[in-house]
Parts: sequence; structure tokens; C-alpha cells
Amino acid sequence: MSAQPSFYSRFAADRFYLWNLVALVGVALALGHAAAGGGLLSEYAINALGQFAAFAILALSLDLIWGYLGILSLGHGLFFAIGGYAIAMHLLKHSYLTTGIVPDFMQFMGWKQFPAYWVWFEHFPYAVAAGLLFAFAIALVFGFVSFRSRVNGVYFAIITQALVYVAMLLMFRNDTGFGGNNGMTGFSVVFGARLGQSSVTALLALAAVVTLIATLIGCRALVISRVGAIMIACRDDETRLRTLGYRTIALKLSIWCLSAVLAAIAGMLYVPLVGIINPRVLSPELSLEIAVWVAIGGRGRLFGAVIGAVTINAVKFLLSARAPELWPFMLSALIVLVALIFPNGLLDLPALRSLIREFVKRPGAGRLTRFKSAS
Amino acid sequence: MWSRLLAAVALFCLVGAQSSAAQQPLDRPTLLRQLCGEAPEVLAGAQSTAELAATAGEADLDWMQAVLFALVDRRLSCGDDAVTLRLPAGTIVNASTLAPATESASGRTPILNLRSRGVVEPILAALNLLVGKDANVKLEALRAVEKKPQPTLLAIVERALKIERDPQVKGAIQSATETLALRSPDPEKQKIAIRRLSEEPSTRSLTLLLNLRSEPAYNANAGYKAALDGAISSIERWLAFSNVLATIYNGMSLASILFMAAVGLAIIFGLMGVINLAQGELLMIGAYVTFLVQEAFRAVLPGLLDWYLIAAIPIVFTVTATIGMALESSLIRHFYSRPLMSLLATWAVSLFLVNLVRVTFGTQNLQFVVPFYLKGGITVVGDFIITWNRLFAIGFALLTLGGTYYILRRTTLGLNMRAVTLNRTMAGCIGIKTRQIDRLAFALGSGLAGLAGLALCPIYNVNPQMGTLFIIDSFMIVVLGGVGTLVGTLVAAIGVGQINVLIEPAYGAVAAKVIVLLMIILFLQWRPEGLFAVKGRRK
Amino acid sequence: MGTPAIVVSGLTVQFGSFRALDGLSLAVEYGQIHALIGPNGAGKTTLLDAISGITRSSGGSISLNGLTELTRCNEVDIALSGIRRKFQKPSVFEALSVRDNIALGIPSARQAGLVGQSAIDQRIEATLDVIGLAEQSARLAGELAHGQKQWLEIGIVLASDPKVLMLDEPVAGLTDEETERTGVLLRKLKHPARAIILVEHDMDFVEQVADRVTVLHEGKTLFEGSMKNARLDPGVIDVYLGR
Ligand SMILES: Nc1ncnc2c1ncn2[C@@H]1O[C@H](COP(=O)(O)OP(=O)(O)OP(=O)(O)O)[C@@H](O)[C@H]1O
Ligand SMILES: [Mg+2]
Repeated sequence: MSAQPSFYSRFAADRFYLWNLVALVGVALALGHAAAGGGLLSEYAINALGQFAAFAILALSLDLIWGYLGILSLGHGLFFAIGGYAIAMHLLKHSYLTTGIVPDFMQFMGWKQFPAYWVWFEHFPYAVAAGLLFAFAIALVFGFVSFRSRVNGVYFAIITQALVYVAMLLMFRNDTGFGGNNGMTGFSVVFGARLGQSSVTALLALAAVVTLIATLIGCRALVISRVGAIMIACRDDETRLRTLGYRTIALKLSIWCLSAVLAAIAGMLYVPLVGIINPRVLSPELSLEIAVWVAIGGRGRLFGAVIGAVTINAVKFLLSARAPELWPFMLSALIVLVALIFPNGLLDLPALRSLIREFVKRPGAGRLTRFKSAS
Repeated sequence: MWSRLLAAVALFCLVGAQSSAAQQPLDRPTLLRQLCGEAPEVLAGAQSTAELAATAGEADLDWMQAVLFALVDRRLSCGDDAVTLRLPAGTIVNASTLAPATESASGRTPILNLRSRGVVEPILAALNLLVGKDANVKLEALRAVEKKPQPTLLAIVERALKIERDPQVKGAIQSATETLALRSPDPEKQKIAIRRLSEEPSTRSLTLLLNLRSEPAYNANAGYKAALDGAISSIERWLAFSNVLATIYNGMSLASILFMAAVGLAIIFGLMGVINLAQGELLMIGAYVTFLVQEAFRAVLPGLLDWYLIAAIPIVFTVTATIGMALESSLIRHFYSRPLMSLLATWAVSLFLVNLVRVTFGTQNLQFVVPFYLKGGITVVGDFIITWNRLFAIGFALLTLGGTYYILRRTTLGLNMRAVTLNRTMAGCIGIKTRQIDRLAFALGSGLAGLAGLALCPIYNVNPQMGTLFIIDSFMIVVLGGVGTLVGTLVAAIGVGQINVLIEPAYGAVAAKVIVLLMIILFLQWRPEGLFAVKGRRK
Repeated sequence: MGTPAIVVSGLTVQFGSFRALDGLSLAVEYGQIHALIGPNGAGKTTLLDAISGITRSSGGSISLNGLTELTRCNEVDIALSGIRRKFQKPSVFEALSVRDNIALGIPSARQAGLVGQSAIDQRIEATLDVIGLAEQSARLAGELAHGQKQWLEIGIVLASDPKVLMLDEPVAGLTDEETERTGVLLRKLKHPARAIILVEHDMDFVEQVADRVTVLHEGKTLFEGSMKNARLDPGVIDVYLGR
């Protein structure tokens, strides 16, 4: 009989996913060891791992709407930045109350007091809630007006790009009270502990990796559920789905807002690790790059997004130390190559191998359908 | 206009009345004695020179100029017996006859104090207007006259106005007359001058009149006050109007560039569903090719340098169209069924091009020679100047519009393009080579972007990053205008260009962008398919 | 006869200046298979589009059970009121399994009258059996043959037990044997509480299954009655069947 397999067996069906999850747990353990004072990983490696994890969450948030719902956002940096700015405000105010040092941007503007909307940001839960709520609200309003008027596909992508561009211009202004051009930096204290200590860094990185694991599990649960099937159906044929009685606008709106919140969480994890945020995270280029991570890793596969984000950023880290001017050329070549040869991203490599194997065994029996792409 | 005519007649009568009393022989020794005296005497001498100059004969004018010049230059030597002066060339001459002489032993060089200098120098400058030959000398002189307007100089300047031939100098003298007439002790003359100024509204005339409000006569004389206030408010009205015109004009030139960039995007998007994120970089390449053409002219044909912009037109179009065609056949064609991936692929191209240009040319702005035919402009009203460089962009866009319209509506290529836009499969079935149409359309769109880059060279900065400046607005135009309609793109380009320019001065560039984006999002609520969408089946 | 399921009156649909439907009126009864036939471009698909809310009409009305005015509803509400439609171009979700496809046919269990997961599973199994794809339930829909996709789409629209079922060319591109099986399937679907609208170009198939035919031409009704009479009608022969 064709009875539906149980949720757990479906969850475990993807071996590739499981093995990667196990590997991530290993990374988390190593970071935990480092936080406890172990010297296995260098300070630089710990920090890089934390950043990669934050980027991976960001990529996942995009994969959720692009890979599974077919909505490409070229403005996801906006939500990332909202999270980042919220946590930066918290760190600055917290540091100020602890050390008494007036933040740079206020000195620069000649302000004696924090602007009114900075109130309560010294409380961590408030800062997090405010950041997530703001990201959610922006996503809700923008998503509602766009999906309601059926702005889809390329239109949606370029409007989101305009959105992030406008936000960047706005944040470049010095009078907005968010640090303007130079952004915010000079955080010294987090939860009462000095930032920059290696155990603190390891804890921050650990937090990022644990959040990544949780996000991965949550996303997997979502995409193998009935909602996941509806998402894929909506991606492939929205009109069809609507004529079956599904309110696709509500569906798209919910997932879009979820994605925005995830991106904001990624931003919150990222900023304490790098110790700075400025309007450049809002540049259209960064938002496009997020889409590139997902495309190169393989969209519509959760670990595709993660692997894409980690590989690209690892190469970028290595190159920016040695030959920074080479990076844009590498990146563009990589995009073109992947887009032309592996339409479903690097994760198609195994598929390619299995195709060849099958082909060698029984010529002509390859399952070519897998190579059809769904953008 | 009547008042202006009247004023001209009045002015003519005045001048005529004066010149009828002309040509009395000049009493040179008396004047010289005054100029050699103490400060009050020098002033009086200078003043009477100025008064006499309005009617003096040519020889006397030359003499006056030589003497005052020597006085200012400290080349005058006042002896008890004779006054001599040293010509700039070095020869000593008698100051009265200008015949060669020897310097008197008791010669003393009078020194002008600051106040006298302030009076004598403008008089000398005014004399230069009458005797000078070189236009630049005269323009320089006018600046000196206007810096400290002295009503006594009015007569000289009016005389200069009558004999001047060079139109540029004449215009400048004209405005100097007005400045001087405003200070004239004769209230009638003053009123006429005010009226004349109010008929040529500009920021300059406004400041001139506003300055008059601090004169004592303003509060003393009610009629004068009314005339002045009326003139000021009339100028202000005209200026407001001319500012609107100037803004619209600037908006039109921005819209022209945006239109040229967006029309290519729209054609390509309509045909293939691909938004070319590298369109901004094609525009940038267009500007860089223009630059290379300019440099080639500089090296090979320096005499024809001014014509590089015209010569660049076919070159830019060919180069960018070829690049576009190469892009299409090597890359973009693989993405027709995957529009979202095509965004990333074209972004990769844009990233590559920006960095290539950055590495080869550097990041600084390019220096362009503004050809003589694009320098300056004509003043229409108030501060509204039709500048040639912007007019060039507008005219260019109009030609592009005409050309594109012609191609789309009157040629087989255009017919085929429209057919493929409406129904690709069907068009393929009736034997249209859709692949070839795609490639040509891409070439056309890219070429148009290149031309936009050329047209903006005389107006905007050219650097590797410039593409991003225009590309987001161009997207918005495509979204706003709808796909595959020339009219939609045109209207949307004008809208976006105007809104940007209108909002910018009041609320800043950022606000302009925010408002444009918000308006587009709101607009899509009402018309999701854009202004002039071609209707098609949803499924 | 009770109230008709669907009553279309004076319906006009315009694309620019072109009228795809021009004041069309039509009633579809419960318990019947009502066939719409007519030459290409007659407006058959456009009528289904208008009923299912995909295309807006510019005049006239469509009512369900004489109560609900459908021209004012969006496609989701129309679907939820029990109207399902199979598209002319087979539209199944190729990236999902056959089973998931059928499951998507039931947007809300309560509305389909099902209580509990087991009832839903039963309905899915039953539907799979009816369309004969039980064996394929774990395969991806994209891997199915054309005929199987047509059946799968019928299964999707059937799963929620619709009151009104609209089938746009269900046997187009099928082999004779598959057409035969589809005919059997269609007759099985007939039910006193269900109205079926069938759009088809295969006249023999229509004659076999339809209780009533409406011949459309240029957006207007040309003939209404039984298929046998339609074949004798000179107007229909002229514009559609040929001599
Ligand atoms: N979105 C649209 N825009 C413009 N014209 C359209 C649109 N949809 C349909 N039409 C036109 O309306 C007419 C009716 O089309 P429709 O698809 O309803 O015909 P049909 O009877 O289903 O034909 P077929 O038997 O070929 O399926 C056709 O001429 C078609 O070209
Ligand atoms: Mg049809």
C-alpha cells in the first residue's frame, strides 16, 4: 500500500542532510570546547566559523523563500541589517552604561543624549524583540502590498533591490541617529563580559552555530510537512494552487515574514562577532551576493544554502587577505560557471555522479528530470 | 513691452539732449592742476573729468584716459612749471599736450588715498570703455564700474553703449547702465531703470533692487517705494516661474538619460523576460568609449577635437551593441527559461565589467572636453537657461525615441520583435527566427544604453561606479511603464526623472528616491502590470 | 429538476476591444455531464476561466446554486465553494509525488467533510484507486506519462468531492484505449449532487458521455440540446463539424 510514511522517517530520509547535521554538531562541540578554554581552534578560526554560521542562517532564510516558494529577494540585506543595527544599538548603549564612553557617532554629531528611539535598548530582550518585530513589520507591509497586487518573479526581485538601495541611502545620512556613514562600532561589553576575549568570541560563535542547527531542523520540519508541499506547489504553479482553494497570498506572506525574521536573527549573531555595522551591509551588491550563495550551493536544498554560504565566504576570506582585487573576478566567473553548468548548484555534483553511474550501467536510463531547474 | 519701448525713447532723448551741447574745448591745464592738488581737489578733478567725458571728443578722451591711468599708476609728475607723465613705454611727455618733454626738477608724484582711488579707478575703467579696443579689457573695466557704482559714470557708460559693436560687451555695458541708473540722483531715471530691470528678471536684478531698499530714498519717497516694491515682487514672481521651468528642464534631461537606459531594458525584458542587471555597465562602457574617442582625437586630430562627441555616436553604438550581442549569444540565451537565474548571471557580468574598468582606468572621474557647441546656453526667462549640454541629451533622447519607434513599427525586424514579444512559440512556428531576433534585440538594447552613456558625458560624472546610479531608476521605469511599450517607458521615464528633480532640492536626494519607490509600490496596487501593459493570458 | 448548479447569464468577457464571450447565457444542471463544444477560439476555455475566477468579466453574471454570485468572488473563494477545474494544459505539480498532488486537492479537510487524518488518507487512497494511479503514488508527478498526468489532474480536482467539476479537454493527446478508460471514469463521476462541465473536441467521446451539449461560436451560443441533434444542426455543421 502507499500509506504516507511517518514524519520521523521522512525527516531521516535525507542521509546527506543528516550527515551534515552531525558535522555541524561536531563544530558546535569544538566551539564549546574552545569556550571552556580549550586551544584547539585559533581565535581567527573561531571568529570565522561564527560568521559563516551567521551567513548560513542568512542564506537559509533566502533559500526558504526562493528555493521553496520561488520568490527571489534581492534585498535580504535589509532584514539582516535591521537585526544587526538592533543588536549594535544594544551593545553600544550597554557599553556606554558600563564604561561611560560616549559613542563615536554621538560625539561626531555633538549629541549629549541618545535619540528618543534608543530608549530601553540597554535591555537585551527588548533590543532583540524590537529588531525582530521591526523586521517582521517591514516584511509584512512590503510583502502584503507586493503579493496582494501579484508582484512576482523578476519584478519582485528588482523592487526588493530598490528597497535595500533606498534603505542604504537613508542610513548613509548622519542625522538619522544610527551612526550614518561610519555606522556603529566600538562595542566593548556584551552581557557584562569584555568583547574580544577569546572565550567570549567562542561563545558568540557557538551561539551562531547552535542557532544554525536549530534553524536547519526547523526548516527541515517545515519543508517536509504539508506546508512544504504547498510551498513547492505554489512555486511551480500558483494559479493552479489558487484554483484548488489555497490562499496563496497568506502563505507567501507568512513564509516571507518568517524569512525576514530569520535574516534579522542572522544579523544579530553576526554583528557582535565583527564588532561593527555600517550602511554598506545595505548595499545592493551584498544582497545580490546572498542570492549567489544560495544559487551556487543549490537552492531548494537546505544544505545547499549552507554549503554555498560557507564555501563562498571561506574563499572570500582567503582571497581578501592575499589578493582582494581578484575576488570580484573570481566571483563573477563562479556565478556564470555554476549558472551554466549546474543549474541547481554545487549540490548537483552528487546527482551528476549518480546520473553517470546509471548511464554507464543502463545507457539511456538516466533520470534527466532531476536536471530540470525550477527557477 | 510698451514701458520698455517708452524707456528706450526717454533714454534716447536724454542722451540726445546732452550730445547737442557737445564739443567744448577742454581746459586741460585746470584739470591737471586739480589732479595734482590735495585729496579733495583730486576728487573734484576726477569728477569733472567724468562729467566731461560724456561729451568730449576722441582726442580728449584719449588724453583723459592717459592722464588718469598715469595718476593711478603713479607715473604723473607735478612740477611747479610743468606737469609731465611717463608713458607705459617709458618716454616722458608733457601731461597737457602729450608732446615729448623732460621731467621738471620740482616734480612730485601725487599719491591717491584709498577713498580717491575708489573714485578714480572706476572713472578710469569707464574711460577704457570708450577708448579701449580689446573686449576683455572692456569686460574687466565693466566689472570695476559695477563693483562701486557711481551715478556720475552713467553718462560715460551710456555713451559707450551707443558706440559698442561687440554683442557680448554691449550686453555687459547694458547691464552696467542699469546698475548705474539705479543710483542716479535723477528719480525719473531711477524709476525707468527699475522698470527696465523688472522686465529682465534674474537673480542679479533682484539683488540689485533689494540693495536699493537700504537707500534713504526708499523710506522718504512713497512713489519710489511703490515702484521699487512692485518691481521686486514682479521679479520674484518671474523668478519663481523660471525656477519651475529650470527644474522641469533639468528633469527632462535626466529623464532623457533614463529613457535611453530603460528603453533597452524594457525591450529585452518584454522579449525574453530577462532583466539585464548589466545595463548600467553598458551605459558606463558607452561613456568610456566616448572618452577613448576623445583621446584618439586629441592624439590624431587635435584640430577637430570639438567634434569627438559626434564622431563617437556610431562608434559607441557599434561597440556596446557588439558587446550586447556577444553577451546574449554566449550567456543570456541559456537563461530564457530561468529569469531569476538570469538576474544573477547578468549581475556577474556587471561585477566583471565594473572591476575590469576599475583596474584598467582607475576609479577617478574622467575629464571630458566640453565642445564649443555645448558650452553655455540661452537665457529664456529669469534664471532659466537652456543649456546646450542638457539640450543635447534631450535631443539625443528624442532621436533615439524616433529611431526606436521606427525600428519597432516600420521595419521587418520590429514587426518580428513585436510578434515574438506577444507569442514566442507562435512566432517561431510561422518561421520567425526567434534566436536571431533575440540577439538583434539585445544588441539594440545594449546599443541604446551605450548611447545614453554618451549623452550623459557632458552632464554627469563618469566613473566605473556610475552604472548603479542610473540602473535602479531604470528598473523602476520598466516596472512603472509596463513591458514592451515605448509609450509606457517614455511616460515612466519622464515621471521618474521629474519626480527626482522636483523633490531633490526641497527634501534631498534620499527623500526623492524614497518617494519614487513608495509611489511605484503604491502604483502597482492599482495597476500591477504597469502603465501601458500589453494584456496577455494569465495562464 | 431542482435549481441548476451554474447559471450564466449575459456574460461578456473582453480582451481589449475583442469580445471572447459576448452576452453568453447557459445553465448547467446537477447530475449531468454538460459538454461545451465549438471551434478553436470559440471561448470555451474563457468561459471556464470566468467561472473559476481567473478572468474578470466585463458584464453579466454567473451564479452558483442560484445563490452565490461568482463574478464578485476571487478564484480561491470560488474553489472553496466547491468548484474545481482541470486545465486544458495539464497542470500537475511535477516536483511533488503523485500522492502529495492528490493531497493538495483537499485544501481543507473540514470543507471536504472529512474528520481526522485517517479519513483524509482514506479519501486519498480512494481517489488514487479511481484514477488508477495507486501503484505510482510515490513517484514524482513529473515522471508520469502524458495520459497519467491527465488522470492525475482529474484526481486532484476530484479529491475534494466537488459540486461542480469542469474538465477542459481531458482526452486531448490520449490514445484510444486511454480515452476509453477516461470515458468510463467520467461516467463513474456522475452523481446527482455533482454537475460536470466538459470541454472537448473529440465528438465521439462527447456523444458517449454527454447528457447535453452547448455549441459555442465566437462567444455566443450556437446550439443547445443533445449531441445527436447537434450533429444534424445545419449551423453547427457549417461552423464546426463540417460536411
Ligand atoms: N488573455 C487573453 N488576451 C487576449 N485574447 C485572449 C486571451 N485569452 C483568450 N483570448 C482569445 O479569446 C478567444 C477565445 O479563446 P478560448 O481559449 O476561450 O478558446 P477555446 O474555445 O478554448 O479554443 P480551443 O478549442 O482552441 O481551446 C481566442 O480568440 C483567444 O485568442
Ligand atoms: Mg480552450
